[in-house]
Amino acid sequence: MKFFRSTPYHLLIGALFAVSVFICFATPIGGSFDDVVTLKMNNVANITPVKATIMATGYDSVSKKFYQAKDLYGTERRILVDRSQNLNIGDVIVADCNYIASDSYFDVSRIERINPVMTLPLIQGLGELGRNILFHVPMSFVAFIAFLLATIYSIIFLRTKKMDYDYRARAASAIGLLFTILATVTGSIWARFSWGTFWNWDPRETSIFILLLIYVAYFLLRSLLEEGEEKKARIAAVYNIIAFVTVPFLMFVLPRITQSLHPGSSGTEAPVINLSGKTHTDPILSYILWTNVVLFTLLFLWMTNLFTIVLRKENEE
Amino acid sequence: MLSPILRKDLRIELRSRFGVSAVVMFLLVTVTTILFSAPGEQINTGLMSALFWISLFFGALTGLARSFISEEERGTSFLLRLYAEPEDVFWGKYLFNLLLVFSLAICAVIFFAFFFRDFAIRDFGMFVLQLILGAIGTSSIVTILSALVARASQKGALLPVLALPVMVPLVIASTDATRIAMETANSWEGMRGDILILFSFDVAVTLVGYVLFHLIWQE
Repeated sequence: MKFFRSTPYHLLIGALFAVSVFICFATPIGGSFDDVVTLKMNNVANITPVKATIMATGYDSVSKKFYQAKDLYGTERRILVDRSQNLNIGDVIVADCNYIASDSYFDVSRIERINPVMTLPLIQGLGELGRNILFHVPMSFVAFIAFLLATIYSIIFLRTKKMDYDYRARAASAIGLLFTILATVTGSIWARFSWGTFWNWDPRETSIFILLLIYVAYFLLRSLLEEGEEKKARIAAVYNIIAFVTVPFLMFVLPRITQSLHPGSSGTEAPVINLSGKTHTDPILSYILWTNVVLFTLLFLWMTNLFTIVLRKENEE
Repeated sequence: MLSPILRKDLRIELRSRFGVSAVVMFLLVTVTTILFSAPGEQINTGLMSALFWISLFFGALTGLARSFISEEERGTSFLLRLYAEPEDVFWGKYLFNLLLVFSLAICAVIFFAFFFRDFAIRDFGMFVLQLILGAIGTSSIVTILSALVARASQKGALLPVLALPVMVPLVIASTDATRIAMETANSWEGMRGDILILFSFDVAVTLVGYVLFHLIWQE
């Protein structure tokens, strides 16, 4: 417990994390007028949130008022808003819209936010579930970083033979396993709502599953070795390095050359990391995403550090 | 000049013929099990190549695991450590395993061609190329990992658990390449990616195995 009292890391990381999670959930999601029409035509959803700027006031009625509004692609449409809402020209609104095809206007059932600080883009068919990208992607990143770090520690251990690096490699693997499980679970929940099933052996799902198997095999190997601590650590480190050789194939090569539903498979460009160096992601979304990647990495490093301290104490006694 | 370790292993193998006969029997049993459990089925190319590689990988895991475990069981590993350099031991065992996987692959091709009507290779040259690359990858992974588990308890169960996740890129690329060789007569275009993966994977795993071997071999 002394560690918790003596260092303020946990407060710092906790506070940053709370702010980030708040931003992830509090930022409204807004699409375009075309999204509303497409989703309604395909019977996905009647009401879809739209981000639009008020351009002009229009026709008045007793309870409702027409406005001319422009969405993020510059398409101008008429929207019908309740009179109780006070909207000025130039206001940016995020509003739930329903397309009325007969008179070609958009009926606003609820205004979610007027002049929001920032908005997230709508992913068609996912809606609010699109927020998952802010958690799922950073977790997968950390799973890779954890594997990389465990391998680096294993290499340092094999060069220096200091048991401390073995503890670090073990801790990084254990916390990495946790993040891999989290990435798998969030991805699986997402797949349930966007692809229809929790699991369908998509290449990405296969590769993360194999990653899980490798981590589990690493700990299984440790527990079954009948050797002294130093030799055990050496053999486990060698397995870690051999396993890491396959990770680039599993995480970067195979999912990109095979057909898959996951973004970034063969024929499509990955939205976040790809060879052409362009992000196909909304700037605000990618900003929050990369902030979360950094925060999750910090969280991972801090947890790894704590676990290393526990392992060190255990082995000293 | 052949590696002395390879010569030693070959001599032991020729004396007992245990390794080869066990592996050939394993393949035969696998093939007949497939035939019994799916009699008269029309097997498509995708499933055919999957069955082929599953039999080959598990055959390799059962047969090749013995290379270091048998030294450990006979108590001869200490002598090997005394008399031979780790590099020589690694390359000797690697070459012996490679020969074993090649003979296993040849047996598998003969059995599959004999027993399955649907096992028809259109592009034999490319099929052989990807078979060789797959065999090299299998041999290098199993060599280093069987040295790794030689001193663990539950060796028999532990080796597949350790090896199969590591072999997955190999499994995916080689099953895909075999399927393409069965489907098209001129398969280089479709197979190029798989061959590239197999080749780079073989090089990476063999080099890593060679560099790290002395760390698990020394006491």
